[in-house]
Order: sequence, then structure tokens, then C-alpha cells
Amino acid sequence: MRNQIITRHFFLVVLSVFLCTSSFAQKAKKDRVRLKANYVKIMNAEIYFDLSTSARVDGENIDVSKVELVIFNIVGDEQLELGKVTTNMEGKARFTLKDLSSIKPDSTNTYNIEITFDGNESFKGASKSLSFKNANIDAKIVTIDSIHYVKATVVNKLTDSVIVGQLLKVQVQRLFKPLLIKEFNKTDENGTVLVSIPPGIPGVDGNIAVEVVLNDSDEFGTIKAIVNAPIGTLIVEESTFDERTMWSPRSKTPLFLLIFPNLLIFGIWGIIIYLITNLFKITKS
Amino acid sequence: MKNYDKLLNDLAPQKFGKKGVIWTISLTVLIILGILAYIDQVIQGQVVTNMNDYALWGVYISNFVFFVATSFVGTITVAVLRLTKNAWRTPIVRIAEIISVAAIIMAGLTIMIDMGRPDRIMNLFIHGRMQSPIIWDVIIIPTFMAISLLLLYFPLLPDFALLKKYFKDEKPTQSKWYGKLALNWTGSDTQKAVQIKSIHLIALLIIPAGFMLQTVDAWLFSTLFRVGWDSTNMGAYFISGAAVAGIGALVAVVYAVRRAYHLEEYITQLHFDKLGKFLVLTCLVYLYFNINEYLIPEFTSKKEEITHLNVLVTGEYAPLFWFVILGGLIVPIIVLLFKKGRKPFPMFLVGLLVVAGSWWKRYLIVTPTLLHPFLPIQGVPESWHHYFPSIHEWLITVATLAMALLIITILFRYVPIIPIQRTADEREELESNKNTEK
Repeated sequence: MRNQIITRHFFLVVLSVFLCTSSFAQKAKKDRVRLKANYVKIMNAEIYFDLSTSARVDGENIDVSKVELVIFNIVGDEQLELGKVTTNMEGKARFTLKDLSSIKPDSTNTYNIEITFDGNESFKGASKSLSFKNANIDAKIVTIDSIHYVKATVVNKLTDSVIVGQLLKVQVQRLFKPLLIKEFNKTDENGTVLVSIPPGIPGVDGNIAVEVVLNDSDEFGTIKAIVNAPIGTLIVEESTFDERTMWSPRSKTPLFLLIFPNLLIFGIWGIIIYLITNLFKITKS
Repeated sequence: MKNYDKLLNDLAPQKFGKKGVIWTISLTVLIILGILAYIDQVIQGQVVTNMNDYALWGVYISNFVFFVATSFVGTITVAVLRLTKNAWRTPIVRIAEIISVAAIIMAGLTIMIDMGRPDRIMNLFIHGRMQSPIIWDVIIIPTFMAISLLLLYFPLLPDFALLKKYFKDEKPTQSKWYGKLALNWTGSDTQKAVQIKSIHLIALLIIPAGFMLQTVDAWLFSTLFRVGWDSTNMGAYFISGAAVAGIGALVAVVYAVRRAYHLEEYITQLHFDKLGKFLVLTCLVYLYFNINEYLIPEFTSKKEEITHLNVLVTGEYAPLFWFVILGGLIVPIIVLLFKKGRKPFPMFLVGLLVVAGSWWKRYLIVTPTLLHPFLPIQGVPESWHHYFPSIHEWLITVATLAMALLIITILFRYVPIIPIQRTADEREELESNKNTEK
């Protein structure tokens, strides 16, 4: 009897220790998530926040995929939820704003954004704050002595004044990665840069898209102005899409490959069928 | 009046003797082992093979190309010798037709074995593009199979009718089957006219069809921009190689059949002498194309070509390469140039050597090229730089070769190896010529 009680107590103790340690172990396994957020404004186009999540697990940096991030607009003590996004397999997500008027600035006309992750069974919760002021880049192409330049002016929208001494990057859009024209261009006392575009840059129908970028500024975030201009070298697109070629799908087989082999195939099989009918002739005669 | 009795006694199909039974059982065992290996391959996938991302065609494709080449024997001997009116061909044409049928059937089966998902075979027809040489192959193989079967069947009609009578009392069931296969053959003038016309037409048809088959097979390789394959020589190279493989196989089988069925009276030294001369001619033509294939890249010395050639001539594949060139071509040419070398037994050895050389030649065409892509092989296990077939691949390949031999064996068991009617006709013609001369 005594032995039975001891056994039961021993079993209960073991079970409790197991349950406690396992729940502690589960909690201990949780890793920290690092959030990154960038504010990007494309002039006369979209405004978005590029978000990414990563974590250091077992000594390795990994992208944290499929986690939900909530985006808030902080105005004083108020927290206004703007929406939610889920990271992709590379741990990235993009939250696009309708326009800047859909969020509110604080009393200093600074926009404050907070991105939060509530945590899950593998990762602890995390948050990231982001502040930026509104600025614009006005860019256009000017031609001086037959040389094409991109002229861009940076304007602080809060004070409606130009920004002097700001570094801007000038590049041309390409298929995989922009082609850098000049990286460090400081705005002058008029808040303007003037950068020459070298001739001979190829573009479809001679059009190229020149980008002027204020890159990842602490005060204004990333601002990009894109100017489309017919100042590139004309390239003739040599696409054979929808043509009958050797590399087309079967519906676009070259005609000679349909006609000649089929003539051969039907010709040979015609003779084979004739020979088989000869066997019937032999049977009947 | 023709006397068929002796011919029928000598040439009518006979039951297997003790050796024949052992031979058939051995082939069956090899086939069963191959089938078991293939079932395992279907269940586990092609992971059981040693093929990889680089050597994506292995021994199966080499074996397929060998079968396609061997099937050319029907074209090169039966049709060409018929159209050039070489009367000595009679005792060997049936053997050639049977080898051709067995080889093309096995070529079709072998290509299916190479498919990772054989259940998707219909997709070849449903989604096939005429721009792809693979589709040309899918079309030409059944076409050539049909022609080869007709080439075998038409000349058999009178023989089936003779066998029907011959086995009437002794083996009535077999006689009944021969009767059905004879298609009411009576030897009437109308039947003879239709038969002769048909055989002539098939002989005309099988030559372009055979050339197309070999050329399409060559284009499977030469249309790919790969070292060792990207050559305009390939079509002619494959046709001449197929002639060598086909006649080599024919010589070996003719000798074995002559000995097994005691056909020395019908298949004489003259036939071996003629076949020997034919084989040496094809070997010389093939040697010429081999010189073209290897010498021009050596002269132009492109880096990739030189790497490939070095691997063949002095590298990993050198023993096989020299066996193929010396054993499969040079030695046969030297032996066959002498009359003594064209005697039956030396011819048999030469035939075996040529067949072995032809098989390994296909292996050398397929594998080393795949292991030398233009972009270097990087970031993969060391074993991926090499290829040698796995046990599964060997078992399946040996089984396909055994299956081809079993088809030949079974056909020899049930159809006359030497055309009875035609032999009788020729003998009668010979007799009447003698009488006229007297």
C-alpha cells in the first residue's frame, strides 16, 4: 500500500517536472525578429513602405516569412491602424499608401509610423518606428548645346523651401538593375542639380527613363522622380514572339515543318495501308 | 514439278533441342531480372540509375541507338541486295528481316524505359512539337516497325501455306495457325503478282524509311549544340555505323543459326564470303566518317573539342575508344580483307567483335559529350563528373538485349529460317538452266 502511494507520488512529480520543463523549453526557443522599414515615395506615382523581417536562429541570419505585420499611424497618443501585410518567402512585404493625405502628421508636420509584429509560437513580438517629412523632387530634361541634362530640384513641402546640399543619385532604368549615371550630386543654393546624360543609352523606341533619387534620408526617406524622355538610342526589338519559328510552341510551327514532314508521313503511311489492303487482296483471290 | 519434301524436312521449324531450351530459359531469366529492376525503377524513380543533371542520357539511350542501328540490317541487306539483284541473298534475308523486326521493337521499348514517367507517354503525341527531333523519332520508329513487319510477312505467305500442309497430320494445331497466317495462299498467279509487287514496293520503301530512321536518330544529337554532337557529318556517320552494326549482327546470327540448325547445305562459305566483303565495305565507309568526325575537330582545335577528344583518346574513355576503333573497325577490316578471314568461324568472331564495338560506340557517342558541357560543372558532388550505369541500368539493358534475342529465337522456332518457296523456285530455275545448257 505504502509502495503504491510512493509510486503514485513519484509519477506525479515526474509528470509535473516534464510539463514545466517542456513549457519552459517552448518559451525559451522563441527568437527575436528584426524589423526593417523604409518609406519610399515615387513622384506622381505610388507611396509605400518596404518592410522586411529577419532573425538570427542558431547562429544564422534567416528571413522570417509568413508573419503578419500591422502598420499604425501615430498621431500624438493616438494609434491609427493603417492596415496589415504578410511577409513573403523572402521575409519581405510592401504596404502601399493611397496617398500621403491618408495619414496624419504630428504637430511638427512629421509623419510617424509604427510597424508591429505580435509574435507567434516561434518568434517574440517586435516593433519598428519610422518618421519622415514630406519632400518632393521635381525633375525634367533640359537640352543645352545639344547635350541632354536632367535638372532636379528638391523641395521641403513643410516649409515649401528648397533643400540645399542634399545628395541625389541619377540613374537610368534598365531591365535588371538601374544604370548609374552619377552617384553623388549635391544640390546647389537653389536646391537643384544638373547632371548630363551621356549619349548612346539604348531604349525601346529611343525612350529612356531617368531616375533622380534621394536615397534613404533620415529626414525624408527615399524619394524618386522618374522622367521619361526620347533621348536614348533607338533599339529595334527583335522579338519573334507570335512568329512561326523553330522555338515557338506547337501552334506556331513553321509551315515547311508542317507541310514537308506531313507529306512524307502521310505518303509512307498511305503506302503501308495500300500494302495491308494487298494482304486482303491475297486472302480474297 | 518441285520437290519440297527435302526442303521442308530441312527447313521447316523444329522443336528446340536441349541447348535451345537452355538458351531460351537463360534469356527468360535475364528478362525477368530486368523486369524486376524496371518495376523497382518505376516505383523508386530514376534515382536508382546513375544518371544525373549532366549525364541525363545514359546507357538506355546508348542501347536505344544501338537497336535503331541494328534494325538497319533489313534495309541494307534485304532491300539493297534485292534491288541490286544479288541472288546469293536468299538464305540470309529472312534472318536479316527477323533481326530488323526484333531490333526496332526493342528500340521502341528501350526509349520508354528511359522515360522517368512512362505513364505520360501519350503526352509525346498530345503536346509534341514538330520542331523537335524527338517527335520525328516518335513518328519514324512505329513507321519503320510497320514496314519491317510487312517486309517479314509478305515473303512468308507461301512458306506458311507449305507448312500448313506439312504439319497437317503431325501437328494439326500448328498447321491451323500456319493456315490462318498463310491468308488462303494457293500460289495462284494473281496472288503471286500481288505478293511480288508488294515485296518490291516494300524494298523500295524501306530504303528511304531506313535512311530517315538513322538520320533522325543522328539529328537527335546533331541538332544540339554540344561538343561531339554538333556536326553536319552525323546523318551519314549514323547511316554507315548502322550498316556496320546491322551486318555485324547478321553475320553472328547467321553463323549461330547455321550451326544450331545444321544449315551448311544452304548457308555456304560463299554466303560468308559475300557477307564478309559487304561488311568490310561498310566498315571502310564508317572508318572514313569516323576520320571526318575526329580529325576535323582536332585540326580546328577548339578548346572544348580538344578537351572532349583528349578524354576519348588518352583520358577516361581511352580503353573503350580504342577498343571501338581497333576492335570494332580496324581489326575486322584487316581480317576480312583476306579470304581466310571470310571463312565462317573467323567471320563469326569478327561479327561478335563488330557488334560489341558498335554497342560501345553508341555509349561513347552519348556519355562523354554530356559530361563536357560548355559551362563548367561546378558545385555538384564529385560523382556527377562521371557516369557509369548502375546495377538497375545494367539489369534492364541486359534484359532488353535478351528480349531482342528471345524475339529472334521464338521467330526462328516458328517460321522457316530460310525461305522454302523461294529456295525451291531458285533450284528449279537452276535445274531448268542446266537442262537448257545440255
